[in-house]
Amino acid sequence: MKNMVNKLVHSAIMLLFSTLLQAQPGPRAQLPDVVPPPQRFATSTGHYEYLYNSHNGGTSHSYDSVPKWEGLWSAQGNNSGNQLFLESLDGSPIGPFGEGENVVIKEGVLTPEYEAAFQYRRDLGVDYDRLTSCEPAGMPRWLLEPYVREFINTPSQSWWTNDLANDTRRIYINQEHKNIDGTHYAAGDSIGFWVDDMLIVHTVDIYPSDYFRGTPPTSNQFETVEVWRMETLNNGTKRLVNNVTFYDELSLVEPITVVYTFWPRQDLQALGFRMRYWECAQNDNTYLTFDDEGRPSTQYRLPGEDGYVDPRGNDRLRNPDLPAGLVGQEKSPIFNDDVQ
Amino acid sequence: MKTTIKILTVAAFLMTTGLESAMAHHSFAMFDRSREEFLTGTIRRWAFNSPHIALYMETEDGTLYSLEGAAPPSVMSRSPSMNGFTFQPGQTVSVVYCPLHDGRPGGALGYIIDAQGTFYSPNDGGCGPSPDWEEWVKQGYTSRAEAEAAQ
Repeated sequence: MKNMVNKLVHSAIMLLFSTLLQAQPGPRAQLPDVVPPPQRFATSTGHYEYLYNSHNGGTSHSYDSVPKWEGLWSAQGNNSGNQLFLESLDGSPIGPFGEGENVVIKEGVLTPEYEAAFQYRRDLGVDYDRLTSCEPAGMPRWLLEPYVREFINTPSQSWWTNDLANDTRRIYINQEHKNIDGTHYAAGDSIGFWVDDMLIVHTVDIYPSDYFRGTPPTSNQFETVEVWRMETLNNGTKRLVNNVTFYDELSLVEPITVVYTFWPRQDLQALGFRMRYWECAQNDNTYLTFDDEGRPSTQYRLPGEDGYVDPRGNDRLRNPDLPAGLVGQEKSPIFNDDVQ
Repeated sequence: MKTTIKILTVAAFLMTTGLESAMAHHSFAMFDRSREEFLTGTIRRWAFNSPHIALYMETEDGTLYSLEGAAPPSVMSRSPSMNGFTFQPGQTVSVVYCPLHDGRPGGALGYIIDAQGTFYSPNDGGCGPSPDWEEWVKQGYTSRAEAEAAQ
């Protein structure tokens, strides 16, 4: 009886997790249907070129006609992340970081090497996140991370920012890929073209990354084809929809197509929120370490401890080349709140 | 059972604050999310800075507690909403927090309770405090364990 009650409680909780994962904060709306690619493509380049040719190169927008997606936005629902890679043996839902007592990796989605790597990561737990060291989320995680984004479209470029790690994607419209640096990047190299109010984006040259904390890794061969549009729901609310196909010959057995949505944050605008530089390296006192058993873990520095960074005061780690106590060097002079 | 307790704690938090606040750029391994402690003290600093807000509070015995919360846009979205002027140095407040595992004076913020008894929820996934705290504070409990043992 006790076991049955435990199972029921567990199932109810995991259902809640699952519901929340798919319907993040914001107006509740059903996810749009995923639109699969028009045919099977071996590569993302083949997919993108097919779309480009079938739309005859797309629409050439002016400053006046280019779709405006201004304002603040946050990630809303999606059907990506661990839903793609995990399944529950007893039908109970799966937690946002892949939690669940009877949750196992789906067979046939990841290549054997990446399936084994994912199992290795899961066996260690989720007490580690590469973003702790302040690196940007990058693609594809940019699509799922919370907080606030801005989407600025011009006829020749779109600049899409996420305040988390100042992680800006630049999409070069009606241009070719370029890589003069001989390296990959967190956000990769993105090109795109408009078809009326729909933007099709191809992204390559991406660092090995992940979909979210606790998900499988992606490889440095991961590429995407995205189809973005703004839609108006029945209640008049706007949302941005991204129908994206993931290609990764090293980690995925087959390409995967999913959908992400974003909701407008007039609530934050009304409260006066403005996107600032995300001062992670300067302000953050969490750091990566290893626990007593040698597993990757996370710790938190307190004032006075080695490596503590002061987000407000006159931090000696910031300007050791200036005399101590130089007047006017506190980063925030509004309050006298030194805690060195 | 341990896993179920962990899941229950996080689920209770999610029900009150939503999934967005469970997400952060780091894990919460250093915080003991199974414990919730109550403290009163004087604010030394309310840092409304990215990537996480923080409250530095000194208790009567002179101990400085460092308490981390969610990201500014997340905290602004709560009810009541908070910004960089919501709390100020010198102000007396109480907090519910999930302490660091290793016993140093710090942890993850659960609630901040001002002198008027208003409960603020600046927490992220580091601490999912019980909604019963409003009642527990009135009854003088100083930890979740103490309150639950008494019931």
